[in-house]
Amino acid sequence: MKLDTSGFETTMPVIGFGSNSEMLDGVSSVPSFDLPRTTDFDGFQKKSVEMVKPAKGTTTLAFIFKEGVMVAADSRASMGGYISSQSVKKIIEINPYMLGTMAGGAADCQFWHRNLGIKCRLHELANKRRISVSGASKLLANMLYSYRGMGLSVGTMIAGWDETGPGLYYVDNEGGRLKGDRFSVGSGSPYAYGVLDSGYKFDMSIEEASELARRSIYHATFRDGASGGVASVYHVGPQGWTKLSGDDVGELHYHYYPVAPATAEHVMEEAA
Amino acid sequence: MQIFEYNGSAVVAMVGKNCFAIASDRRLGVQLQTIATDFQRISKIHDHLFIGLSGLATDVQTLYQRLVFRHKLYQLREERDMKPETFASLVSAILYEKRFGPYLCQPVIAGLGDDNKPFICTMDSIGAKELAKDFVVSGTASESLYGACEAMFKPDMEAEELFETISQALLSSVDRDCLSGWGGHVYVVTPNEIKEKILKGRMD
Repeated sequence: MKLDTSGFETTMPVIGFGSNSEMLDGVSSVPSFDLPRTTDFDGFQKKSVEMVKPAKGTTTLAFIFKEGVMVAADSRASMGGYISSQSVKKIIEINPYMLGTMAGGAADCQFWHRNLGIKCRLHELANKRRISVSGASKLLANMLYSYRGMGLSVGTMIAGWDETGPGLYYVDNEGGRLKGDRFSVGSGSPYAYGVLDSGYKFDMSIEEASELARRSIYHATFRDGASGGVASVYHVGPQGWTKLSGDDVGELHYHYYPVAPATAEHVMEEAA
Repeated sequence: MQIFEYNGSAVVAMVGKNCFAIASDRRLGVQLQTIATDFQRISKIHDHLFIGLSGLATDVQTLYQRLVFRHKLYQLREERDMKPETFASLVSAILYEKRFGPYLCQPVIAGLGDDNKPFICTMDSIGAKELAKDFVVSGTASESLYGACEAMFKPDMEAEELFETISQALLSSVDRDCLSGWGGHVYVVTPNEIKEKILKGRMD
């Protein structure tokens, strides 16, 4: 009689060489994907990369200060010149104490962040303690490194609070991983850096920091065509993350720069 | 990005009852970066004739200066203002002169002709005229503008209602375009007066 072992089968794909599974803690590092069967694999990859056209049209930022980590982002998705959405969630909640930001391909960021969330949970279950921000960002970076050159577009920041305090890492699709205090990612990042760097102090209260983050995103949405929509601000503290505000930047402009009612002057005076 | 999308623009003109309205956005950008939010795209040729130019900003300014020059010469010779239909033919000829090295702009011409009958037309960058009885659009947001105008336009609107309609159409269309917007500029022209208004739009 054949025993029905289908219940033991795990949905997690296992790496090719079974003997390595001990080192990997039973968690595979490379989910298996079907590869296309073409005669010209290199050309196919190049064409598919161009089709996706990675363009990191967005503004996201995060910084560490006395009270934790402040994370902020805009909410516009653009396809070339067309605005496809003004209400995209670019701050992804990996788990209750860690946030990831989205810049680059939306599908890529959403998938890999969710995948990271799964890995973090598996780590918790296997080790009976939460994963550190450093460890989580390393998992993501290693994953993205193995897909290097295949046209993924991910420019993300992992922000969280672990036993060592607040943590912030920048991870991108080249496989780069940087630890730092202040980051901004996306096409609007130069404008956000300008405001963020000139207003930053380590000793800020939560209100001051959230106002600085919001203002930086607002200025980036004003100058950058590919950023806009709603400026969301999150705070990560010792108890986890909380969403502080989500303000429409169209209204924020008139809040920061109210318009005094004045008649438009007829500027085209010609000697007729 | 294409050369027509280098600076970003949106221009629309609509016909009403013995009046017309012409509107544009106010952004001047260099690809995604916004440089100015008060760029003039619509210019007056004479009291009953306006031209709005979308496309590459340098050509917008140069072409406008050339057209003003030609119209002033016409005024000196004929001792009267040009009719809108005649002006449209003039613009078309000037653009076709540069057939193999064109001005990279798309004009929108709006005017009041004989008996104060409103006239609008648009052209591509080498002078192909397209006359319309209801509305014409041009610029990077033109596809959105077509949709918005088609939905909101009604024939024979009075000046007030025409202003509301064209403003709504312009603002909702540029809110779907990364490269245009940052305010709006509307002219509503009736036989007796020109009303110029600046629109408060989303500045993102």
